[in-house]
Amino acid sequence: MASTWIKPSTRPTTIDDLVNGVDRYNPTNLSILEDYLYHQIRSEEYDCLANLAILKLYQFNPDIYNPDIVINILIKALAASPLPDFNLCISLMDERTTSSHLDEPDPLPSTLPQLKNLQNLLYRCRFPAFWETYLSDEFENLRDNYTVEVTGFENSIRQVAIRAVTATFTRISSERLGSYLNLEGDGLVSYVQRLGWEIDSSTGTIIVPPNPDNQIEATVVQEQIKLPQLTKLISHAVKA
Amino acid sequence: MSQQRMQLWAAEADIDEDVDLNLAIGSYGQTDRYDDVIQQPQIDEATLLAMQQHMVQQNAFAQIPDPVKAFIVHFHQAVLDNNLAEITVAYESGWNKYTEKFYAKTEWPEAEVIAPLVNDDPIFLILYRELYYRHVYSRLQPDIDDRFHSYENSCELFNYLLNSDGPVQLELPEQWLWDIIDEFIYQYQVFCTWRSKVRSKTDDELGMLAEGGPVWSSYSVLNVLYSLMQKSKINDYIIAQRQGKSPEEIAEIVGEYGQRPLYRQLGYFSIIGLLRVHVLLGDFTLALKVMDSIELNQKSPFTRVTACHVTTYYYVGFCYIMIRRYPDAIRTFVTILNFIMRMKQYHTRSYQYDQISKTADRMYALFAMCHALSPSRLDDNIANIAKERFSEQYAKMSRGSQDAGAAFEELFLYACPKFINANPPPYDDPAALQNLVTPPDPADPTSGAEGAPQLDATHRHLSLFLSDVAAQSQVPTLRSFLKLYTSLGAKKLANFLDADEEEMVQEMMVVKQASRSISRVPGSEHLTAGGLLDGETITTSDLNFVIAENMVHITESTVGRRYAGWFIKNTERTQKILDDLKVLPLPASRSHQGQQQRLPQAPDSSQHVKGGGSERKVAWGGVKTAA
Repeated sequence: MASTWIKPSTRPTTIDDLVNGVDRYNPTNLSILEDYLYHQIRSEEYDCLANLAILKLYQFNPDIYNPDIVINILIKALAASPLPDFNLCISLMDERTTSSHLDEPDPLPSTLPQLKNLQNLLYRCRFPAFWETYLSDEFENLRDNYTVEVTGFENSIRQVAIRAVTATFTRISSERLGSYLNLEGDGLVSYVQRLGWEIDSSTGTIIVPPNPDNQIEATVVQEQIKLPQLTKLISHAVKA
Repeated sequence: MSQQRMQLWAAEADIDEDVDLNLAIGSYGQTDRYDDVIQQPQIDEATLLAMQQHMVQQNAFAQIPDPVKAFIVHFHQAVLDNNLAEITVAYESGWNKYTEKFYAKTEWPEAEVIAPLVNDDPIFLILYRELYYRHVYSRLQPDIDDRFHSYENSCELFNYLLNSDGPVQLELPEQWLWDIIDEFIYQYQVFCTWRSKVRSKTDDELGMLAEGGPVWSSYSVLNVLYSLMQKSKINDYIIAQRQGKSPEEIAEIVGEYGQRPLYRQLGYFSIIGLLRVHVLLGDFTLALKVMDSIELNQKSPFTRVTACHVTTYYYVGFCYIMIRRYPDAIRTFVTILNFIMRMKQYHTRSYQYDQISKTADRMYALFAMCHALSPSRLDDNIANIAKERFSEQYAKMSRGSQDAGAAFEELFLYACPKFINANPPPYDDPAALQNLVTPPDPADPTSGAEGAPQLDATHRHLSLFLSDVAAQSQVPTLRSFLKLYTSLGAKKLANFLDADEEEMVQEMMVVKQASRSISRVPGSEHLTAGGLLDGETITTSDLNFVIAENMVHITESTVGRRYAGWFIKNTERTQKILDDLKVLPLPASRSHQGQQQRLPQAPDSSQHVKGGGSERKVAWGGVKTAA
């Protein structure tokens, strides 16, 4: 679970060496990491720790900071909800002073509140509101300039919703799921089929397959005594 | 040893006689002599300055109290001899004793002044300055020169350790080595904080900061810590040790540096130092990542230095909070707070104890926050203390009431690390600096006066944390309703809460989300396969539910009574009593001799475990004698 987050199977060795070594502090390696980010964007991969390494380089070297890269990293991190990836990125973004020597106006100050808004809606599982906001006129700039480049962005957000639904529901109505996924009709049907979920054709209810989180059982947790708790007693008994 | 002291006293006697004379010469030099010099142009100004400085120093030297001179000479000798026991005494008691007595409110004599006492030994002078500046930072107000010079001195020290020909032969006590790393990071942190406050700087300071260059830069600090880590090959050492390699094999692996305790310990403390620096800079994953090879348990080498032990757990726990792994944070705090509680009765070194109990208080606050966010019954004892100490805030936080946010904010600000920005304000760019100093909104000058709030790292982290908290604010209320039912229609629940049904269903997904967390599973902890970041999804709440269309089904897990801890504790206690009884002399030998035989046993056995036992022995013996 966490191990694929620490090291995704798609991460190349060169990147792994960079992320785990002191070479991550070397600004000349920035382009390797940035290229890797664009690779993630094109091929629906995601590697949080490698992207944090980029932000770390920006943190220490404000003069090489590239707002477009930052925005792309944050967009990728959105789809990791409810994991804290988005916040981890923000944590590394020291406030920069206005006179950074950029040729163009910095798009980040205007985009960042929008992204924060989106992440907040996702983290609070307000999926219908997420789609409404994301597809509103105000967010046109974000869509046209950024998320359009991110292959499978909308599907990656749908996965966030699917994760929440999987854990919470055993059955869910089509309308409700549709509103979470921003899909309806055939689109919804084929999406649900791709997930391998069943649809009750008479009621239109979708059956969420059983999994550890949506199966509930009243249990009495019994105490389990582990060997280390007893080592002192046993070793003492042996000595005596 | 005694002979050397004799020499010292002899030397001091001379100096004593000179005291008044020196003073006299000093004032004389400033008046008549000065004229003389002007009439003799062949004595150039540099010589004059040197002479004057020499006299000032002699003057200062003369004012050093004799016991302090003796102490410094003795201290120096202990360092020369690599005599760890003597160094420890000088470091832990001597220095503090003379600080209290003579330098509670002033600096220690400058290194240049005491140099004659130690034959200008450059290494000792570096170590002396290390203590000198630490004293300035902790007791007095460091000025900009102190800040710059303490950095230079740290660089000299690390340069000497890292860039000499081969490993240096110096030996220092573990506690001091930890303090060196700890203080290095502390000074870096205070410098960054001080540097970020632009408005209060004088023109001189602005000038020095503009040209400060690498002084206390994040890169230079990280460089030192990573270098110590690499030079000592500490990670290889830890891994080799865990694999049970023989001392010869380990020596082979770690090389000439890693074999020496000084480097090994510095390497180890540097890992903890990196943990701390990464947290200060807001990089919580990297902070946990550097700890990859370290096992967090009470047997780790760092536990020998209590301050290091406590620091480690504080920062690890804090990282877990920031990556939303509250159960892991709770477990971390519980472990260390229990340790501190046990240690309390044995720990007497007050200067450290103060610091430790302050950190403990902050961890209780953090614990209370985590407990409110993710209630667990891991340790009732600690939970009760935390709830009691922060009862008002805890009540607000756990109820998820309106003012919960304010309570979380209060505790967060009280207990969080002193976050810093990696980079200075643009001191080298006067125009940008001016922008920063002048508040953008002149109507509200106070917001600018508080050190430019847009540059405050702490508030950035605070607002992230608070937004996480706010997202969960409904959870306690919903849980308290769910507890009352085994099944409940979503509409009914929505009515209770006066909420829209769809909103409420979405909120239920948040409840579910808040009842799951990635966590290091306790049972497999000693395997440490994946380090501190690794973990699996676990259930964190006793209350479980699922929604089938519009019907919420609820179950609750209960925990059976726990007996094991009670039995284990009492069996151990009984065993100890039996052991104590066994080592007691027979009642017949209640003579003076018997007493003496027993006494040496007490320091022999480990003080932590047997401390209580030996007291009981005395009491027992006392009763017998009386009878």
